[in-house]
Amino acid sequence: MAAFLTLAIYSFLYKDNPVYRFAESIFVGISLGYEIGLVFYRTIWPNLVERLIANPGPNWYLAIGGILGLMLYCRYIPKISFLGKWALAVYIGYFVGVELMQRLHGDVLPQIKDTMLPLNGPFWGSLQNLLIVVGVLSVLIYFYFSKPHTGILKPISKVGVYFIMICFGASFGYTVMARISLLIGRLTFLVDGWVRPMIALIFGSS
Amino acid sequence: MRRQIAVLLCFLTGFFVVVAFFIEQDPIPDINEKLDELLVIVFAFALVLGVVSFLQHHSKKIRRRDKGWTSSVISISSLVIMALLGIFESSIRGTGIIGDRTTFDWLFNWVFTPLQATMFSLLAFMIASAAFRAFRIKNIEAAVLMVAAIIVMLGRVSIGQVIFPQSLAISEWIMNNPNLAAQRGILIGAALGAASMAIRVILGIERPYM
Amino acid sequence: MKIGGIDKRWVYLLVAIGALIPIIKPLGLPVLSTPAVEALFEKIESLEPGDVIMLSFDYGPSSAPELDPMAESILRHCFQRDISVVVVALFPLGGDNQAKIALNKIVPEFPVVEGEDYVYLGYKDGGLAVLRRMAEDISIVFPQDNRGIPLEDIPLMQRVQNYSDTELSVSLATGIMGEWWAILVNAQFGQPVAVGATAVSAPKYYAYLKAGQMLSLLGGLKGAAEYETLIGEHYPELKERSQIATRGMDVQSIVHLIIIGFIILGNIVYLISRSERTRAGGRLASK
Repeated sequence: MAAFLTLAIYSFLYKDNPVYRFAESIFVGISLGYEIGLVFYRTIWPNLVERLIANPGPNWYLAIGGILGLMLYCRYIPKISFLGKWALAVYIGYFVGVELMQRLHGDVLPQIKDTMLPLNGPFWGSLQNLLIVVGVLSVLIYFYFSKPHTGILKPISKVGVYFIMICFGASFGYTVMARISLLIGRLTFLVDGWVRPMIALIFGSS
Repeated sequence: MRRQIAVLLCFLTGFFVVVAFFIEQDPIPDINEKLDELLVIVFAFALVLGVVSFLQHHSKKIRRRDKGWTSSVISISSLVIMALLGIFESSIRGTGIIGDRTTFDWLFNWVFTPLQATMFSLLAFMIASAAFRAFRIKNIEAAVLMVAAIIVMLGRVSIGQVIFPQSLAISEWIMNNPNLAAQRGILIGAALGAASMAIRVILGIERPYM
Repeated sequence: MKIGGIDKRWVYLLVAIGALIPIIKPLGLPVLSTPAVEALFEKIESLEPGDVIMLSFDYGPSSAPELDPMAESILRHCFQRDISVVVVALFPLGGDNQAKIALNKIVPEFPVVEGEDYVYLGYKDGGLAVLRRMAEDISIVFPQDNRGIPLEDIPLMQRVQNYSDTELSVSLATGIMGEWWAILVNAQFGQPVAVGATAVSAPKYYAYLKAGQMLSLLGGLKGAAEYETLIGEHYPELKERSQIATRGMDVQSIVHLIIIGFIILGNIVYLISRSERTRAGGRLASK
């Protein structure tokens, strides 16, 4: 089954065809169905239903979570769609609140702190540190679009562009590796899991 | 009035989460913990919100017999079968790691997994054809990008170290210095942007929930 | 379908052949380790038997070829050194199954007992909310393990209430999830974090690694192969079993050369056609 579906998807490389579209349709349906099944038995049942049934008194607040969750679906009923917006507002409010503190405390401050590098140490170390400081500042200036890049901003943002190009080149190299890894996984499955056993079966060799 | 209530709810939740980051006196941490537990449940419900839109779109396609409606039939059937198996087989699941052998798991392991893995592996072929067709060194910036890419690609593989022995050291230097600097600049910029967007949402200036 | 005069399908065929040859006949090219990967190996080597680490499966089947070998190597390393592992899954589309696949494969290789040497708590929705809650009490988020046994009845979980009862958290992550461990679990709760990332995400994580928000970074299949190499060097008895990523690096070598060849060839074709157009333009202008 897995080999047939793998080859069905690879048939797209030759030409778009009904077998590929069949496999693609199954993929879409099964991934969404899997989400539903997983969400139900991994979260909703143990974290909400079982806990409320086992100990309704101390766990009463969990019912609010269930109600908010169900309210999200009210957006599909025009008369009560405002309830869906309220639930979504709570959901978004929570996540942006967490995101705000996380980004400032976990991203901005530590990264700025680590950019405060000594420039008065051994020569090569200081040169590398200078490269990093110049790189970070020039990239930040490049992405500052509130002012046109004229005057002193122009050469600095140009330096930033070169740093970004090196970064994108490195990312491209890594991306190539990532994509090939996925191909390796599939071909290894086809060869080791299907072709080799079939050959062994036909020719009776180990 | 209803819109104002939505804005108020977003503000109260977001503001409370921010304040709870700083205040450790009861009952703030206790309420914060309970809020986290609630949102785990709400997140679970939100995860399948897209399914309703999906069903609406595809059932309309089937009713009107639009082009590709048979694909919609297959998609919806797969979804319903998988969802029902997931819900009704859950009572016999959880019997241990080795013991999980339900139809739900079988469909995931032998249908979904190969389909997703193969879909993504198509990108390896696309990237090869893009390398031949699209990556043109038209200016200095493109040349810098390509040189960095080739050095990193050689440095990351064993044969690269045979052809060009310094490629590993140079590629590690690139990753730990210019790449790091640029990634950090992008990270700081994006984080500040995300933080300012978060403030705008909490204050009701942006209302993505409407 | 033609690119530069060549049908795209010939390009696909060349890539497929280039990938198949090393799979059928491995080249056995060596893999050298880097400091970013050695840091995780040394950290686990420094732990005492009975210490606990948390391993989070934050990826699905689309990242499995890169991250499965990492998961298997780390589990083998921990079980070999009698280090207990608390396993969780936080990625919605497949994290649960990837965790089970890895444990199903590695657990039978060692005399480990579920509930004492390792425990699989299962998958939970919520991402950030789950990570925040586990800093206080893991049992609030995971009231039971994968078998349905309450955490208070599991010997291993009786001594692990939250992150501070573990020595290290390792996240095998796709997308943004590795970042969450660094900027939330490490930055806010001080937990040492190591991330095994897909090669697509890895370049971004160097900033976190250098800032000390991550103890270690395993990037893509190369990172997995480096860890396998370290395992093989220190534990020869495990070497034969830890070869998946190392064999995959042979394929990476050949296909990388093919793609570099395509880039160079494509640019040669482009430069030739550009100079021909320039000459043709010059001849027209002189007429």
